[in-house]
Amino acid sequence: MPEVEYATTMPLGRPQIWEFVKDMNNWAPFVTGYQGHEIIDDTDSIWTLKGDVGILSRTVKLRAHITEWIDQERVTFTLTGLNEKVDGGGVLVMTDDAPATGDDGADADAAPAPTRRRRWFGRRFLDWLFRRMFRRMHGEAPKRLTGPIGAVRSRLSFTLRMDAGGPTGPLVNAMLAPALEPAAEELANKIAAHLERVHLGGDAGAADDAAAA
Amino acid sequence: MWFRKSKPWHLDTDVVVVGTGAAGATAALAAHAGKARVVVLDKSEKFGGTTAVSGGVVWVPNNRHMAEVGIEDSFDAALAYVTRLADGRSDPAMIRRYLAAAPEMIEFVEGATPVAFKALARYPDYHPEFEGGRPGGRSLDPGLFDTNQLGAWKDKLRRSPVFGMTAMSVSEATDWGVFSKPSALPFGVLAKRFKQGLVCYGGALAGGLLKALLDRGLEPKLGTAVHELIVEDDRVAGVRAEHDGKELLIRARRGVVLASGGFEWNAELVGRFLGGPLTHPNSPPGNDGDGLRMAMALGADLGNMSEAWWCPSLVIPGEDYDGRQLHRGDFATRSLPHTIIVNRAGQRFVNEAHNYNDMMKAFFAFDPVSYQRPNLPAWIVLDAQYLARYALLTYVPGMPVPEWLVKADTLDELAAAIGVDARGLAATVARFNRFAVEGADPDFHRGESLYDHFYGDPEHGQNPNLGTIEQGPFYAIQVHPGAIGTKGGPRIDGDARVLRVGGEAIPGLYAAGNVAAGVTGAGYPGAGATIGAAMTFGYLAGRHAAAQPGAK
Repeated sequence: MPEVEYATTMPLGRPQIWEFVKDMNNWAPFVTGYQGHEIIDDTDSIWTLKGDVGILSRTVKLRAHITEWIDQERVTFTLTGLNEKVDGGGVLVMTDDAPATGDDGADADAAPAPTRRRRWFGRRFLDWLFRRMFRRMHGEAPKRLTGPIGAVRSRLSFTLRMDAGGPTGPLVNAMLAPALEPAAEELANKIAAHLERVHLGGDAGAADDAAAA
Repeated sequence: MWFRKSKPWHLDTDVVVVGTGAAGATAALAAHAGKARVVVLDKSEKFGGTTAVSGGVVWVPNNRHMAEVGIEDSFDAALAYVTRLADGRSDPAMIRRYLAAAPEMIEFVEGATPVAFKALARYPDYHPEFEGGRPGGRSLDPGLFDTNQLGAWKDKLRRSPVFGMTAMSVSEATDWGVFSKPSALPFGVLAKRFKQGLVCYGGALAGGLLKALLDRGLEPKLGTAVHELIVEDDRVAGVRAEHDGKELLIRARRGVVLASGGFEWNAELVGRFLGGPLTHPNSPPGNDGDGLRMAMALGADLGNMSEAWWCPSLVIPGEDYDGRQLHRGDFATRSLPHTIIVNRAGQRFVNEAHNYNDMMKAFFAFDPVSYQRPNLPAWIVLDAQYLARYALLTYVPGMPVPEWLVKADTLDELAAAIGVDARGLAATVARFNRFAVEGADPDFHRGESLYDHFYGDPEHGQNPNLGTIEQGPFYAIQVHPGAIGTKGGPRIDGDARVLRVGGEAIPGLYAAGNVAAGVTGAGYPGAGATIGAAMTFGYLAGRHAAAQPGAK
C-alpha cells in the first residue's frame, strides 16, 4: 500500500494552525487536483479530485470520513473511492516544535523573517485572532497574550495512504505511489505558506482585517 | 512561403526533419547514415508523435521475420491485396514502391536501433480472406523498451495514455488474452515493469528510435514549432521555426522532411476535406495540419484528402491527455460477445467486429431524403454478462461499474435513457440473440473473419464474437467518430519528394507519414500499416535527401 508522510514547520502556534485546518473549506483548494467537495455532515464529505494517474488525468470521487478529531492536535480520516476501487486514509498532525533559537527569535531554517512593518501587522492580526478565539471559547476577552509570535513553532505533518483494489490493484498502486508524495508535500506546504502569509505578513487583506480589529 | 531576404541563418545543416514520430525519426536516421548533418525538430515537448501513443506495430509484407513463424509471403500477393484495399485512391507505382522498400527499411532500422522486431503470427491482416491477405506475420511487434537507456531523455519520451502504463508486448498481450481474459493478466508483473521503466507498443518503438538518434548525437530540438518553409532559388532551403518565443531560421542545404503528422485536430481542415465528421481523434492534440499548410503554400498537389485512419472512439468524461479530453479508440468492446452497436432507430448497421477503419465508414452513411446520417449518434449496448467477463476501457471485472456507462434494468429503460427507439432496440436484440445462439450473423457476418476472431473470445461458444444480450442490468456507451490520424496530404513520389500540381517535384521538400497522401488510399491493410508506410517513406526521404549535392 503506497503511503507517504510529509512534514513542515512554521513559526506559529497550534491554535493558529488549528483555526484554519479545522474547517476543510479553508484548505480544500490546496489539495492536489481539487475540483470540488460536498460536505455531508460533521464527519463525512465527498471530494472530487482530478489527478494524474501515470500519464493521463482522471477524475476520482472519494468519500472522506473523519474518524478522529482532537482539537489542536490531529484529524484522522479514511478515504473510500466512489468511482474507482481505491481506499485509503490519512492524518494531519500538529505538534509543538522546538522553539526559535536565533538571537532575534527566528530559526535559521524558517521562512524569511518578516519585516518590522509586516511583523507589526502580523502581530496585530494574531492578537485579534487570539482574542476572537478566546472570546468564542470563554465568552470574555483574554487578560493578555501568552507570548510573542515567533517564539513558538509548530510542526504540521500529513500522512496519506492509498490502496487500489481489484485485479488491477498492483498496477494502479505502482502508478499512484509516485504521485502521493508530491500531493502530501503540496498540501502541507500550501497550508503553511498560507498561514505564514496571513499571520506574519504579506497578505493585505489579513493586515487590513487586523488593523480594523 | 517565406523568403529569407537578408536575415542570417541561426543554424546551418543538411537535412531538417520536422516531427519525431516514426516517419521523422527514421528519416533522420537514414539521412545521418547517408553522411548528412541532421536537425530534428518537434513542436511538442515530448518525443514520439503519434507513433508513441500507438500500438507501435509495423506492417511490412514479405518481411524476413515471417519465415521465423512459418508464414510465406510474396511481393505479388501483397500488391494484389493492397491494390484492392486502396480502392483506386493511390498511385499503383507508389504501392509498388512501398512494398518493395519496406523490407529493406526494416533491416535498416533493426541495424540502426536497439529495436528487434518479431512477426506476430496470429495478428491477421485486416481483410485476411481477400486475395493476397495473410493470417498473420506481416505485422511486426517492437517488443519492450527500457526507458532507462535514454538517460536524461527518459521523461521526454511521449507515453501513450492507453498503453503507456501496461508494459506488455503485443505478442504477450495476444498470448495472455488481453481482450478475452483481462482479469487473468499478470498485473503484478506489469506493476514491476512499470516501476522498472519498461514501455511497450508505440512507446517501445519510439524509445528505440530515440535511443538511436541520441547515440548519434542527434538530440531532437523539442518545443520547436516550424511555421514556414523558406524558399531560395526555387528550392526549399530551410525553415522558419520558433523556440521559446524566439524566431529560429534553420538552413537545410539538402532538404526538409515534413513528418509532422495529420490534421485530425484541426476542425477547419477536417470540415473542409474529410469525408466524415471526425469529432474524436485518438492522436496527440498537436496534429493540426501545420505540415499540410506549409506544403500547400508551396503549391503542393494533394491526395487522399477525404480519408483517415478511422477508429470508433469512446470517452470517459474527465480523462485528459495533453490538456484535451482523451478519446480512446475502441478495438475490442464491440468485437466481444454480448455487445452490439445500434443507431437511434435501435438498429444494427455494421459488423461491429470488423476492422476499425472500414467499419467506421458505415457510421457516415447518408440519407439523401432526410439529409441526415442515420447512424450518428450510435451506441454500444451490452449486458451484465459482458461486464462479468470482459474489460471495457478502464473497467476490469471485479471493479465498481463505471459511472460513465448508462445503466438500466430493462432494455426499454436503456433505450429511453440514450434516446434510442425502444421498439427498434427490442426487435434488434431479439434478432441478434437468435444469431448468437445459432453462432452466425447473416445480417452483417460478424465473427466470420479471422480478423474478427482476433479481438473476440476464443473460449466463447460457437462464435467468438457473438453472445446474447439478455441479462440485466443493461448498459450503453456512445461511440464517436474518431481516427488515429488523417492520411491525406501532399502527394509524394517514390523518393518521398513532394510534388507540385502537374507532377514535378518541389526541390528540397519531402514528406512522410500522416502529413503526406497515404499510399494505402482508402484501406487499412493490417496492424501497423500506418507506421509501416510512414517509416518506409521516411527512410526513402532521408536517404534521398542525404544523397543530394546540397545548396552552396
